[in-house]
Amino acid sequence: MSVLEVDNLTKTFGGLVAVDDFSLEVDEGEIVGLIGPNGSGKSTVFNCIMGLYDVTDGEIRFNGVDITSDSTHQIVAKGLSRVSQESNPIDLYSVSENIRLFTLPNSIRSLHGGASDEEIREYAARIDIEDKLHEMPSELPHADVRRLEIAKSLATEPELMLLDEPFAGMNQAEIGELAAQIERFREDGMTMVVVDHNMGGLMELVDRVVVLNNGDFLAAGTPAEIAADDAVQEAYLAGEGLQ
Amino acid sequence: MISTILLLGTVCSTVTGRLGRVAGTLRRQVLWPVGRTLERLLAPIDRVLDPVADGYNRSLGPYFGEMSGLQFGVIAVSVAGLLTAGYWAPMVGPLLGGGLLRTLALASIWAIFAMSWDIQSGYTGYISFGHSALSGAAGYTTALLIVHVDPTLSIWVTGSVSVLAALVVGLLIALPTLRLEGPYFSLITFVAVLLFYRLTTAFSSLGGIPGFGQPDVFTWDPMLRYYYMAIPMLLIALALTFMARSNLGMILIAIRENEPAVSAAGLNPTKFKLWSFMLSSVPMGIGGVLLVGFTGNVDPSTFVVVDNSIEMIAIAVIGGMSSILGPLGGAFLFEVLNHQVLHGYSTPVRYLFLWLIVLFVLVFARDGLFRAIWHRLGAVRGESE
Ligand SMILES: Nc1ncnc2c1ncn2[C@@H]1O[C@H](COP(=O)(O)OP(=O)(O)O)[C@@H](O)[C@H]1O
Ligand SMILES: [Mg+2]
Repeated sequence: MSVLEVDNLTKTFGGLVAVDDFSLEVDEGEIVGLIGPNGSGKSTVFNCIMGLYDVTDGEIRFNGVDITSDSTHQIVAKGLSRVSQESNPIDLYSVSENIRLFTLPNSIRSLHGGASDEEIREYAARIDIEDKLHEMPSELPHADVRRLEIAKSLATEPELMLLDEPFAGMNQAEIGELAAQIERFREDGMTMVVVDHNMGGLMELVDRVVVLNNGDFLAAGTPAEIAADDAVQEAYLAGEGLQ
Repeated sequence: MISTILLLGTVCSTVTGRLGRVAGTLRRQVLWPVGRTLERLLAPIDRVLDPVADGYNRSLGPYFGEMSGLQFGVIAVSVAGLLTAGYWAPMVGPLLGGGLLRTLALASIWAIFAMSWDIQSGYTGYISFGHSALSGAAGYTTALLIVHVDPTLSIWVTGSVSVLAALVVGLLIALPTLRLEGPYFSLITFVAVLLFYRLTTAFSSLGGIPGFGQPDVFTWDPMLRYYYMAIPMLLIALALTFMARSNLGMILIAIRENEPAVSAAGLNPTKFKLWSFMLSSVPMGIGGVLLVGFTGNVDPSTFVVVDNSIEMIAIAVIGGMSSILGPLGGAFLFEVLNHQVLHGYSTPVRYLFLWLIVLFVLVFARDGLFRAIWHRLGAVRGESE
């Protein structure tokens, strides 16, 4: 069954068509790669799904329910979560408090609810930052800040996680480690869409790749098929390489 | 023209550069040694009080915030001082120009205003320039009830209706504006208080410029009057501190620091902003009712004028925004300076001096005086052991 259905999504900014009539289906337990050169509209698709942008046209359904005009917090409550491309931890809060914020109930009456220290530790441990819980985000190296973003997302207990360029700025060893962790999330029953601008970290990880180019659907297939696809090669020729 | 600006710019930057260096030297040569000496003196007190503070931290700490021994001591002494002021202030007062109890009563009311402003503006970062419209709504409701309905109504009736009126005005301001971004929220609160001010001065049915003299003061006994103001203030401080140290405070600060992250956490920012505004309106209303009982007069310049809103902000800034207790301390500092220490000067001169202090705090101690002192007290033991 499809967990996420994006139907004929169009998003324009003034005269600029950032996403043009794009459709995507994600099945339970899948890891789908969404790739495309910089500026092709990948983050815009995520922003539309998460309710950050009003869509110009099209429909988005999660578990069969229309979420097109829901607000972000309602969408998160339904079990969708996104790790954005830019890290934005709250610098005044420690790693552990940053994670705790994402476990708080959306209720003005819950004055002392939220995850226990032990539960926060578990979220952190799933992405291997449990020994950084008492540090401040500004003290962390880049890769750990990115891991904190994932831990925050995990703390909302999502069914489907959208990861926007999780490998950006990481070295080869860190990419391998993160890919293995994402693989483990899938074994725990999570469905995921992973955005990257090239195939680098995705080749081994994803079941399926969808390619966006200039806001248009360009191709879909297994990683091997996409790597061999002429149209995809051509789209990437202008800018950076596909691998 | 451009060269003048350039010249001015150079002059300003050299002066501020100089100031920065002077401040740096001051800090190294004077403040640090003084701080270290104080620390050496205070460390034993901290150690003595530590077991008591630990007991507090285990039982009430999770609800009102943890404290070190010294911090606990300072709070205990302050609360004891406020509770016994009715007895010691008349003796100490003459040294400070007399009328100290009156000043402390007034400071209690302003502490309520500044703390109420803080739980909304200081915590969420949605800065309100119009909070005096809320206390004004309460004050005018009391006056109108006494003048137009029944002069013998009990304070419990007029007071409750007045607090409700503050809440309604608060919702009227908050509901349409809290979704707005950037400076619009602040501008609208600003316009709201200007409107309210003109409304009260324009219509004689609303009292006009002289306002209403009919409401009675609570009492003419200075000691009793002080406790009428100080006890509600302490209870409000307790309630707001409890709220601020709960999940609510954490979420409100997160809204200030990064509102999209709050949405991404599955929390509805609008709901929490609205709640903080309501939580602010109720004590603003209580403060307004107390101010009626203090002055016995409800008029635009005591209650509504925008300067009042700005003064609340100034007090919160001096004490330290988003800490509740900082603004409380700020109110006592501000009022004691205004009415005791500077009592020999004319009103304009006093305010000139007070605004210079606000500016000084904004430039050199952005976290506020009492917040800075609080953190210093908390750090004493860490450095002496
Ligand atoms: N908020 C916005 N306002 C205007 N243009 C935007 C906005 N967000 C994205 N765009 C434009 O939409 C296009 C797609 O951007 P984006 O989705 O960020 O690409 P990608 O994530 O694939 O690199 C770009 O041309 C970008 O400039
Ligand atoms: Mg992007």
